[in-house]
Amino acid sequence: MNEQLIHSKITSMELDVLKAVKQRTLENFTEGPSVERARLFFLLLPFFDENHWSGEIEASAKTVSIVYAALHAHDQVKENALVITKKQQLTVLAGDFYSGIYYQMLANSNNITMIQRLATSIIKVSENKASFYDGLVRSVEEIDDLVHVIETELLTTFYKFYGFEKYASLATLMLRYIRYVEELEFLQNNSQTRILRLLNQTLQHPLQTERWLLEKLDLLHEDISLTINSYNFNYELKSFMLHQITPHQHRAEQLTREG
Amino acid sequence: MEKVKLKLLYSDLKPELDMIEKELEQAVDSKSHLLNDASLHLLQAGGKRIRPVFVLLAGKFGNYNIDVMKQVAVPLELIHMASLVHDDVIDDSDIRRGKPTVKAEWNNSVAMYTGDFILARALEYITDIDSPKLHHILSKTMIEVCRGEIIQIEDKYKLDQNLRDYLRRIKRKTALLISSSCELGALVSGTDEKTAAHLRRFGYFIGMSFQIIDDILDFTSTDEELGKPAGSDFIQGNITLPVLCARRDPEVYSLLKNSLQKELTDKERLLVVKTIRNSPGISEAKAVSERYLKKALQELDYLPKSPANKTMRKIAFFIGKRKF
Repeated sequence: MNEQLIHSKITSMELDVLKAVKQRTLENFTEGPSVERARLFFLLLPFFDENHWSGEIEASAKTVSIVYAALHAHDQVKENALVITKKQQLTVLAGDFYSGIYYQMLANSNNITMIQRLATSIIKVSENKASFYDGLVRSVEEIDDLVHVIETELLTTFYKFYGFEKYASLATLMLRYIRYVEELEFLQNNSQTRILRLLNQTLQHPLQTERWLLEKLDLLHEDISLTINSYNFNYELKSFMLHQITPHQHRAEQLTREG
Repeated sequence: MEKVKLKLLYSDLKPELDMIEKELEQAVDSKSHLLNDASLHLLQAGGKRIRPVFVLLAGKFGNYNIDVMKQVAVPLELIHMASLVHDDVIDDSDIRRGKPTVKAEWNNSVAMYTGDFILARALEYITDIDSPKLHHILSKTMIEVCRGEIIQIEDKYKLDQNLRDYLRRIKRKTALLISSSCELGALVSGTDEKTAAHLRRFGYFIGMSFQIIDDILDFTSTDEELGKPAGSDFIQGNITLPVLCARRDPEVYSLLKNSLQKELTDKERLLVVKTIRNSPGISEAKAVSERYLKKALQELDYLPKSPANKTMRKIAFFIGKRKF
């Protein structure tokens, strides 16, 4: 499968997901569902790698994407706001609405077991997200574990359910890599996130956090390069992953050189 | 006091409800001490547990087995709890049932994750029942409840909305989940379809009546009785039936219109509350609630006479007269 076909399949899935959760008021007043293409890529990876792929599997993959959108909507609600805006109110409801849609989609296809597995994963993700607010100072390894669960638990559940576990280790590395690239960008733009707040608390200075992120990205990328070679992906799929999903800049070395 | 009176009506169910209360506590047990505390905080604030009661009572019309019934009763209460914790963020409410809300005690994000956690627990629990029909009904209800809340936000501060808008909103916001509680109780106990349909409609009519009474009480109760300031719904821009009825008086209309356009002082809030309380809007809204109540009771006439039927009837009468 070439790059263009991969893009086209991701777009088609993206449109299906957006259509499934379409709601006029939510569309007008919220930022709409977050459907990240990288996540869609990983949900579709078994298909791209020419595994058995059915309508049921694809429908389940869409619901996983909707659950991500539901949880992401609730991440967008401001921790403390003096006045809650209409946009924020509807963002709360958007998350609940998307949750209802994923439940209904799986109920309509009588995939009750998948509803249960996803519910168990949502519990785990919510518990890990709540850890950002429990006031404990965590080691960087513990923070990395939280990120790991939050970013990959739903996807891993999907893989396990359909017998695609072999992709879990690679997806886990790449999704964490993407998360940390975004966190680095936030840090460099002086924006605060929950992950950065926790890292700054542990590492005690934003510069230390930046260094840790850069080194983490290098390490993750090394692991990605090693892991990706252990699969029998065709050249184009491998190239898509390395250049489109996780392009790497070797930033840690750059920082050392620049001083 | 009133809550005690209500609970006396279904005292026959006390052992089962105690069991459900324990199950609810177990269901919200979490590895995260924060989610555990927040969920227990919500659970211990109490509540009428009206949804589990209707699940159990509906189940009495079929082959009642508490181990099966609780599989539905517990998640329905959890779904309701999850919606409350998110509603408090939407309404920016600091107090519920006289206690600080989760968002006030912690923050909005903790409230979001608590709601997501409780909702997921509900789904984890109810999916032990492998009944596609049950999941179709429940998922549809959840979506409709959300749609109701979205419409409520759209309709906020619109004094010129019509009665149909209001009824459609409370149907989705309240009546559907009570209706589904009755229907799902009937379904899992294996009643025939006719019985399930009567129970579903009973739940719908009683839910409509219940919400209208709730909206009346927002004006006729004291701050202490409500556990929040009287007139809170109006202050948040929710136009309820007493307001829709009272606005026909041009003077009242003008007061309401002006009040919706600014932030009210406590004195101004109390003036709005007093104006509505003394208006014919209250008795007119009560009359609408009573019509729904009558329809609910008619549905019970189609069902076999039994202790469960009698208890449902008593609850219906109580809801029509409740003062909290």
